Amino acid sequence: MTSNTFIKNVEHESAIKHVTGRAIYTDDISEPRNLLHAAIGFSPVSKGIIERIDFSEVLNSDGVVDIITDRDIEGQNDVGPIFKGDKIFTSKKIEYHGQPIFAVIASSTKLARQALLKVKLKIKKQTPIITIEDAIKKKSFVLKSKTIKRGKSSSAIANSKHRLSGKLECGGQDHFYLEGQIAMTIPQEDNNFLIYSSTQHPSETQQIVAKVLNQKFNSINVKVRRIGGGFGGKETQSFLFAAISSIAAKKLNRPVKLRIDRDDDMIMTGKRHPFIFEYEVGFSDNGRINGLKILMASNCGISADLSGAINDRAIYHIDNAYFIPNLDLTSHRCKTNTVSSTAFRGFGGPQGMFCIENIIDHIAHHLKKEPANIRVQNFYKKNHNNITHYGMKIEDNIIEEIFNDLKKKSNYTMRKKEIEKFNSSNEILKKGISITPVKFGISFTTTHLNQAGALVHIYTDGSIHLNHGGIEMGQGLMTKLALVAANEFGLDIKDIKLSSTDTEKVANTSASAASATTDLNGGAVLNAIYNIKLELDEFIKKNYKTKKITYKNGKIICDNKILQFKEVISNAYLNRIKLYSSGFYKTPKINVNVKDLSGRPFLYFAYGAAVSEVIIDTLTGENKVLQVDIIHDVGKSINQRIDIGQIEGGFVQGLGWLTTEEISWNKDGNILSHSPSTYKIPTAAEIPEKFNVEIYKKGFNIEKVVNRSKAVGEPPFMLAISVFSAIKNAVTNKNQNSKIINLIAPATPENILKSINNEI
Amino acid sequence: MLSSSIEFLLNNELITINDANTNTTVLEYLRNYKNLKGTKEGCASGDCGACTAVIAEIKNNKLKYKSINTCITLLYSLHSKQLLTVEYIESKYLHPVQQSMIDNDGAQCGFCTPGFIMAMYAMHKNKIRPTESNINRYLSGNLCRCTGYRPIKESLKNLKKYKNLDSDTSKVFKKLKKIKLKDVALNNDGAKFYIHQNLKSFKKDFLKSNNPSLLVGGTDISLDITKKRSNLNEIFYLGLNKNLNYVKVRSNNIHIGAATPINDILGTLKKYYPTFYEMFERYGSEQIRNVASLGGNIGSASPIGDSLPVLISLDAMLVLDGLKSRKIEMSNYFVGYRQTKLRKNEFIKEIIIPLKSKNNIHKCYKISKRIDDDISSVFMAINAEIKNNTIKSIKIVCGGMAATPKIAKLTEKYLKNKKITYENISKAKLIISKEFSPLSDVRGSKNYRTKIVSNLLDRFWNEYNNKKVTVYDF
Repeated sequence: MTSNTFIKNVEHESAIKHVTGRAIYTDDISEPRNLLHAAIGFSPVSKGIIERIDFSEVLNSDGVVDIITDRDIEGQNDVGPIFKGDKIFTSKKIEYHGQPIFAVIASSTKLARQALLKVKLKIKKQTPIITIEDAIKKKSFVLKSKTIKRGKSSSAIANSKHRLSGKLECGGQDHFYLEGQIAMTIPQEDNNFLIYSSTQHPSETQQIVAKVLNQKFNSINVKVRRIGGGFGGKETQSFLFAAISSIAAKKLNRPVKLRIDRDDDMIMTGKRHPFIFEYEVGFSDNGRINGLKILMASNCGISADLSGAINDRAIYHIDNAYFIPNLDLTSHRCKTNTVSSTAFRGFGGPQGMFCIENIIDHIAHHLKKEPANIRVQNFYKKNHNNITHYGMKIEDNIIEEIFNDLKKKSNYTMRKKEIEKFNSSNEILKKGISITPVKFGISFTTTHLNQAGALVHIYTDGSIHLNHGGIEMGQGLMTKLALVAANEFGLDIKDIKLSSTDTEKVANTSASAASATTDLNGGAVLNAIYNIKLELDEFIKKNYKTKKITYKNGKIICDNKILQFKEVISNAYLNRIKLYSSGFYKTPKINVNVKDLSGRPFLYFAYGAAVSEVIIDTLTGENKVLQVDIIHDVGKSINQRIDIGQIEGGFVQGLGWLTTEEISWNKDGNILSHSPSTYKIPTAAEIPEKFNVEIYKKGFNIEKVVNRSKAVGEPPFMLAISVFSAIKNAVTNKNQNSKIINLIAPATPENILKSINNEI
Repeated sequence: MLSSSIEFLLNNELITINDANTNTTVLEYLRNYKNLKGTKEGCASGDCGACTAVIAEIKNNKLKYKSINTCITLLYSLHSKQLLTVEYIESKYLHPVQQSMIDNDGAQCGFCTPGFIMAMYAMHKNKIRPTESNINRYLSGNLCRCTGYRPIKESLKNLKKYKNLDSDTSKVFKKLKKIKLKDVALNNDGAKFYIHQNLKSFKKDFLKSNNPSLLVGGTDISLDITKKRSNLNEIFYLGLNKNLNYVKVRSNNIHIGAATPINDILGTLKKYYPTFYEMFERYGSEQIRNVASLGGNIGSASPIGDSLPVLISLDAMLVLDGLKSRKIEMSNYFVGYRQTKLRKNEFIKEIIIPLKSKNNIHKCYKISKRIDDDISSVFMAINAEIKNNTIKSIKIVCGGMAATPKIAKLTEKYLKNKKITYENISKAKLIISKEFSPLSDVRGSKNYRTKIVSNLLDRFWNEYNNKKVTVYDF
C-alpha cells in the first residue's frame, strides 16, 4: 500500500460530457444496422395459472419478427444470482404482477410494445399472499429464519426498571434510476455474444447469460462504460433484460436491444425490502438499554435474490452505534406474491437502524428525557462496551466526537428551545428536531465477494490506460481511481484513459455495491501499478543510476537529474521492460460464521451524524424540512467534491424513502405506484435552503484502505433517519400526553395525520 | 393556402418534414431520426424532465423561450418554432449554465443532466432571477436521483460569476419570420395532423372529423401514445390557432382562449386572482405550465385536475363551439368520470371567469404527498363573500373527492348567512365530512380525504383570522 496521500478535488471525469449530452449510455451507443428491438409481455395479475396463450394477433402485428418464450431458452430458465427462483419467462404458474411471460421482437421498440398488447391470455386467478403479516401467518418464507442471541435478554428486560414494547413499519422504495433498464446483445463469431448492459454487475451478467444460453462463460462479453444510476437496482435486476436480449439475439442471429419503459420497469423490477418490527426493550432510569428483543420480518417478494444478505445486514445494523448488552433477535424472510425485493443503497442497514433509532426515541419519550442524551448514553465506547452483538470489536469508534461536534455546530440545544417556544404559541403547526448517528459496516458480508482486479497499461507514448472491475454509476468511482493512478505515476488525471468495464479485461469481478467499490478496485489498481513499477523502477535505477525515484508532475525525479516520464517509458520499452500489469486485491482480516453471523464481517466502519428540523401541519399532515446539518466521516478523502455529492445525494434519497416515496399495492397484489406521477421521489423543493454538509475533518481510516479513505456510497443514506425522527418529534410535540407515538414510514402527510390522530 | 408539411428550426437547421408518423414525439425524432442522443428518455410521461429541450417562438416580435418535455410533445406541433437541444447550446465554449454545473458538481450519473441544463438554459434566457423559490419553481419538472439537488441549485445561484456568451439571435429571428404561417394538413397513410391558424378553418375540418384528438400541450393525450400505445388518427393542434390563444379582460370578465398555455394567463390571474395564480405555482411543472392549457385540463375532465374546482368556485362559464356556439356553467359541465356535457363535434372555445367584488375571500388548498409536480390527494377551492362577519355567499369545491369536481352543497347551504365564528365552522366541518364518499387510491385513503376536507375548513378559519397556518409559510 502506498504511503502517499493526496487530495485532488477535480470534478467528475465525465462532467463535460454530462453537461453537453455527449456522455454515452447504453441506448446512445451507435446501433448496428440490422438491430431488432424487444419488448416484454408480463403478467397482469399477481397469482394464477395460465390456461391459454394466443399469440396470433401479436405475430400479425406491424413489424413483428418473432416471439420469444421459455421454449426458446437453451440453458437455465433462471436469472437468480445466488439462489435459483428468478424465472425469465413463465408459461404456466404466475407468481407476481409483472412476471415476464414472453418477449416480442420487432423492427422498432414502439412496434414491439404495441404488438405485445395484442396477446390473448386466459389466466385462472388465485389468491395471492401480499403482506408480511399474511406471509408469517402462512409460514411463507423465501429463506430460513435466523435468530441471533447475545446474553440473556429476557431476564435483562425483566430486571430493568423500565420496559416498553412496540411495533414499527417501514416501506419499500423504488430505485428510480433516471436511466431505465436496458440491454443490447450483438452476436459475434462462434456463437459468442457482446452485451452492452446497464448493470452494476457485468461478471454475473456474463455468467448468467452464459448459463441461460447454455454456453461457456468465455463466450460472453459484457461491456459497461457508465450507467445512469443504479442504487442497487441494477445489481441483479438487470440480468433479466440482458438474458432476454441475448436469447433473442441467439435465436435470430441478429443484434437485439431491449429498452424498458419506465412504468414497466417499475412494475417488473424489485425494490427495497419493506420491514415490520416488534420489540420489547428494558432500560434504566437514564435510558441505558439493558435488554432488547426484536422480531423483524421483511417482504422479500417472490424469490430469495439477495434477500439473505440484505436481511443479514439489517441484523448487523440493529445496533447502529449503540452497545446492546443483551439481545434476542429473530429475522423472518417472507415470501409474497410481489416482485422480488432486492438490493438498494444501504442493503438492509437502513431498516435495521430505523428500528433501533425509533426504539431510542420511544425510550426518550417514556422517560421524558432529551433523546440526544439517551443516544449518547448508549453509544459504544472506545475501551469497553465495544463488542458488537456479532462479536466484532470496534476499533475505530469516533461516533461520540462526530455527534457532539455536530450537536454544537448545529446549535441543537438552542434551536430545541426555540422550537419549544414556537410550539407553545402554535396550535396547528408544530416543529420537531432530532439528531441521529450512523455507524455503517464496510465490506460485503459475503466474504468471498471482497476481491477485485485491475488492468493498467502504459503505452509507449507514456499515456495510461486504466481498467478495473467497478462500474461508474455516478458515484465518481472512475474519477477516484483515475486520481489514484495519476498520483502513483505523478501524472495529471487527464493522462489517464478510463475505459469501459469489460469482462474480457478483468475477470470474475464483484458487483459495484456495498460502498466498497473504490476500496476494492482502488486496491487492485494500486497493486497493478506496483507490479509495473517493480520492473520499471529497477530499470530506472540501473539505467539512470539513481537510488531515489519520485514520480511527480509528469516527471521522474532521480538523485541527480529529472527525467521526462514519456522519455523514460519509451526508453523502457526499447529495453524490453513490461509496461502493463494486472493487479488483484482482497480485503484482509474479515471472516464470518455463516450460521450465526458472528465474526468480523466488516473491515471497518463509516460514521456520521445529522440534525434535521421539520415543521408539520397537524391538520393535514403536510410537512417540510427546514434545516439539515451533517457531519460525515469519509476517512481521508480521495476527492472531497465527489464525497460531498455522495453524502448529500445519499441523504436526500433517504429523505425520499422516509417521507414522500410510497409504494402502493392493491389488495390483489398489483402495484399501483408505477410511474413518476404516482411515485414521488424528492424534487428540488424538498431540500431545505439550510443544508449544511461537512466532511469530518479528522477523518482517517485506521485500516490500510487506499489513501486511508472510507467508503461513502451507502452510509449517508441513513443520516435521513434524523428527518423521520424529527417528524416524530413534531408529532410528539403535538401529542405530549400520548403514551406512544406510532408513525409508519414513509411519513407521508396521510401517515403523519394518522399518527397525530392515534389511528395506527 | 394549405401546406402539407411543417417547417421548424432544429437548432440552426431549417427542417421541412411531412413523412414522419403523425404520432412521432419530438424525443423519438431527435434520438431515432436525427441521431441527437443528448436528450434522454426518463419516463415518457412528462414527469421526470430528462428529455427537456427548449422551444423559441416569436411572441410580440420577440423570441420567447420555453422548456418543454420532448417525450410528450408531438413533432408536428413544432411548426414555425425553433427547437433547441443540448447539442446546440455549447458553442466554442461551454454555456454558463454548463460551466456552472461542472464547477458546482451538479451531475453525478449525468443522465438527468442534459434535461436540467436545458431547463436552466430557459431560465437563463428568460432572465429569471435565481432565488430559492424561482429555482424550485423552474426545476420542479426535473428529477435527479443522485445529487440531492443542492449543487444544481447552487449552479444557478452562482451563474452571475460567468460571462454571458449569448449568441446573436437576430438570424434565428429572421429564419423563423420566414416560415409562412399557413394552415397545415398532413396525411400519412390515413393518419391526419392539422394545424389551423384561425377558428373558421379549424371548424371546417373539425366538423368533418370522426375521431378528433385536440392537442395543445399533449400533457394528457400524448400518454395515449407513449403509455397506452395507441395511435391517434386525427390530431388537431390548437397551439397556433390565434382564435383560441388569448387572454382578455372585458366588462368584469376574464376571457381565456381554451388553448392558451397556462404560463400565458398567469400575469392576468396574478392581478385579479392571486390565489389562483399561486395555485399554479404547484401545478405540474414549468415544462407542463409552458404548454398545457385550461381547455385541456377541462377537456380531459379528470377529477384530479386542480384548475377545475377553482374555476367552479369562481362561477366560471365555458363557451362551447361546434355547429353552433353555446355557454354553459362550469358547475354543470361535469357529469361523471371523464364525462362531460360536451357533445360530439363540439369543443371548448373559451373560459370566462367573472371578476368578483373586493369583499370576496378566495382560497385554494392543495394537499399532496410532494410539494411540487404532484397530483392532489385533495384539492379545495373556497370563494366566500363575507360582510360584517356574515357569510353572504360561499362556494366550496373539492377535487379528489369523487369522479368529478364536487361542490360541498350542504356545507355551503349551512354556512350561508351564518356569522363566521369557530362554532359555525366546526359545525360545517362535521357536515362536510359526511358530504362525500371518496375512493381510496394511491394518493390517499377515503378516511384521509374525508378528514382533510374537514380540516381545511379549519385552515380557512385560521387564515381568515390572518394566522400563518401552512408549512409553506416557513
